[in-house]
Amino acid sequence: MPLPATDGHIAVEARNLVKQYGLIKAVDGVSFQIRRGEIVGFLGANGAGKTTTLRMLCGLLTPTSGTALIDDIDILAQPLQAKARLGYLDEEPFVHPHLTGREFLNYIADLYRMPRGPERQQRMERLLRLFELADRDGELIGAYSHGMRQKIGLASLLIREPSVLLLDEPTNGLDPRSARLVKDLLEELAALGTTVLLSTHILEVAQALCRRVAIIDRGHIVATGTIEELRAQAGSEQASLEDLFLKLTAGPESRELIERLLAPKL
Amino acid sequence: MNESATRIILKAELLALRHRLLKRSPVRLVLLALFLLVAAVTIGGAAFAAGLTAGQFLPNESDSILSGGFTALSVLMLVVGFPTVIATFFVGRDLLQLVLAPIRPMDIFVARLLLAMSANLLISSLLLMGTLGVGVGSGAPFVFFPLVVVLIFVQVLIVTALQAILMSLVLQWVPARLARDVAAAVAGLAGAGFYLAWNLSLRQTFSPRSRPDFTNVNAVIQRIEWLPSAWPGHALSAVIAGSLGGAAIWLMLSLALAALTIAAAEILYRRTLLAGLGVFGGPQAVWRRAPAKPASVVVKQGAGSPARAIAIKDWLSYRRDIRRLSRMLPAFLFPIGYALTFLRPSRSINSFWTEVALFGFISMFLSSALATPSIPSERRGFQLLRMAPMTMRQVIRAKVMLTLPPVLAITLLFTIVVAATSGHGIAQLAEVSVLVVWLGIGFVSIGVSAGGIDPKFEASDDRRAVGVVGTLAGLGGAFGFGLLSVGAFALFVFGSAAAAGTAQLGPIPSTPIVGALMWVGGLGLAVGAAAIVVILLWLADSRLRTYEGTIAAV
Repeated sequence: MPLPATDGHIAVEARNLVKQYGLIKAVDGVSFQIRRGEIVGFLGANGAGKTTTLRMLCGLLTPTSGTALIDDIDILAQPLQAKARLGYLDEEPFVHPHLTGREFLNYIADLYRMPRGPERQQRMERLLRLFELADRDGELIGAYSHGMRQKIGLASLLIREPSVLLLDEPTNGLDPRSARLVKDLLEELAALGTTVLLSTHILEVAQALCRRVAIIDRGHIVATGTIEELRAQAGSEQASLEDLFLKLTAGPESRELIERLLAPKL
Repeated sequence: MNESATRIILKAELLALRHRLLKRSPVRLVLLALFLLVAAVTIGGAAFAAGLTAGQFLPNESDSILSGGFTALSVLMLVVGFPTVIATFFVGRDLLQLVLAPIRPMDIFVARLLLAMSANLLISSLLLMGTLGVGVGSGAPFVFFPLVVVLIFVQVLIVTALQAILMSLVLQWVPARLARDVAAAVAGLAGAGFYLAWNLSLRQTFSPRSRPDFTNVNAVIQRIEWLPSAWPGHALSAVIAGSLGGAAIWLMLSLALAALTIAAAEILYRRTLLAGLGVFGGPQAVWRRAPAKPASVVVKQGAGSPARAIAIKDWLSYRRDIRRLSRMLPAFLFPIGYALTFLRPSRSINSFWTEVALFGFISMFLSSALATPSIPSERRGFQLLRMAPMTMRQVIRAKVMLTLPPVLAITLLFTIVVAATSGHGIAQLAEVSVLVVWLGIGFVSIGVSAGGIDPKFEASDDRRAVGVVGTLAGLGGAFGFGLLSVGAFALFVFGSAAAAGTAQLGPIPSTPIVGALMWVGGLGLAVGAAAIVVILLWLADSRLRTYEGTIAAV
């Protein structure tokens, strides 16, 4: 496994990010830093604030307060410069159903002002082949399965080589082979200096891929660090990431509720 | 006692509606309520007054008026109701849940029929007010008034069931792969055809004189009186005439027709529900098959351009989305229909200023059809634009530049055809062409802005892609811009004539000074018109830059 090529430079930084909807704080004072070439897992239960944080980092949502920095560029102050450096993949990728995969990649490349020419073309062909989409050339994205849409979404990020990737459940809906491909690809990219913030529910993926994890619960970061650091924090040396996650996010009442639900009726 | 499935479904829908309403801010809710109240009082009051006047002064025409009213209502419901019917009967994940539940298809049908009627019932409130006015004006007996409510409800039921039948027939006969697009084309063509036919028949109805000739109305209505859509009108006019027996016969016929259409719709719906869910509920059918050989790729050179990328994407999407394309038909047929009407030698409306007003109206109509949904039609793809290193100003400019060519091409073509057949000189044609280009740029910018001010990216139908605020801003802006622009144009034309000493300005002398003053006034109005456009563009830009609605929700 190639070692992450991190050089200590901070590529992504969330500074006290807050997002409030009416009286509800979806994200409440989230802060973390990710170094260049690092893959960081962003873990949390449903509705914990993961997607909202990612969308603030990529400029889709404006924070109520706080700052999001990409390569030291404030995404609110200099959005165009920051956006040119990052790629965000949503859990349900943003695609155009009436374009073919190739047309969609061309569209994205043009939006990001990539020079047209053989180099772009070759890169596109390579990506389509890599994600096994080259044979579906005549099909519109609207007819793709969820997994295929996920793949074309990933390809649309990789075609323009962003230095920072924010990925929300990138392996969601992928078959095991494609999921493995994505994992390998992310490791390769990190080795080449791409920074990845990976939001996922699949803790095995996070454990296998991420050097560090950040756990968010009800809008707050409850833990950050390497698995070893989290184990030390939790006081259990042998705990798996799943155990740590459950310990840090779920109340003791969960176990009680499950037991009550499964108990035989009297 | 167990609740019926229909009742449970309706209760859930009403609950969802309540939650949707309560999710809005109280200020917006109050404003919306006020707007609806004012609109209801104004429009309903106008319809009631028109009915009252007709009932009072045209007692012998009540049958024609009522039959025409009910037929017009049916046409209108057919024109605007198809998307609602498709959406209510065949689209929605909740429908999948209902199909999986142990519920009879009949219960689903009845619940969906009642829900699908909501849009049509809203439209029919206009006829309700007009018909009540006719009743009051003609001194109808008390039984007339409850009968009006019953008959309008029955008519709405019939038309909604008829739409469900049409969609079910499409699903029954057309291969599933094409059903979605055929249904869309049927809906679009039916709407466009009915609209044009109705529009042209109304134009024929009015004589060349300035006053409408109602004997001609009668002649047109007599041609449609056999239509089932006219039967409720006959029932009501029989009540006014004191023939309760006649009224009962027409009422029974209408009720029998309703029973027949509902039964037919239920049977067909039961047969096609699953097919419909597959066709309309899922992603659009793939229209292109994978080619046998890999497509030959033409490598283009040069820098990538976001504006060009949006243009190509929009063009490809439009070309491939037959549903959207078919909905453009009315917009394209409208100017052609008008051009045909104008080319008729018997036409009387041929003055220069009437034509100017029509050019403005057609430019506005085309722009609102093409430009207004251009930003919301990005759907979730809007988030790609938000994440791309480009400003919202660039997005708006790209959309304006894309919509402008077809609008200008059609309106200029129409202008040239009408001006040529009217025998206007080159100078007048040039003047009008400049106006048409000015109006095109303004209306398209306003249309795009309206879509940017209040986009509904989650809407699957272009016609619901702009919210109330955007619609009002668009309508108000277009109205103001149009008035100021035509005013400025008039001042320029009269000012030039005054400067040349050839203007007929009544008591105002036709001198160079008056001409210069009129030019200054014209410039002022033109600046005012441009200011409206700039303000709306600015509003759209700032709104899109901070837009979070569906981004936060999804």
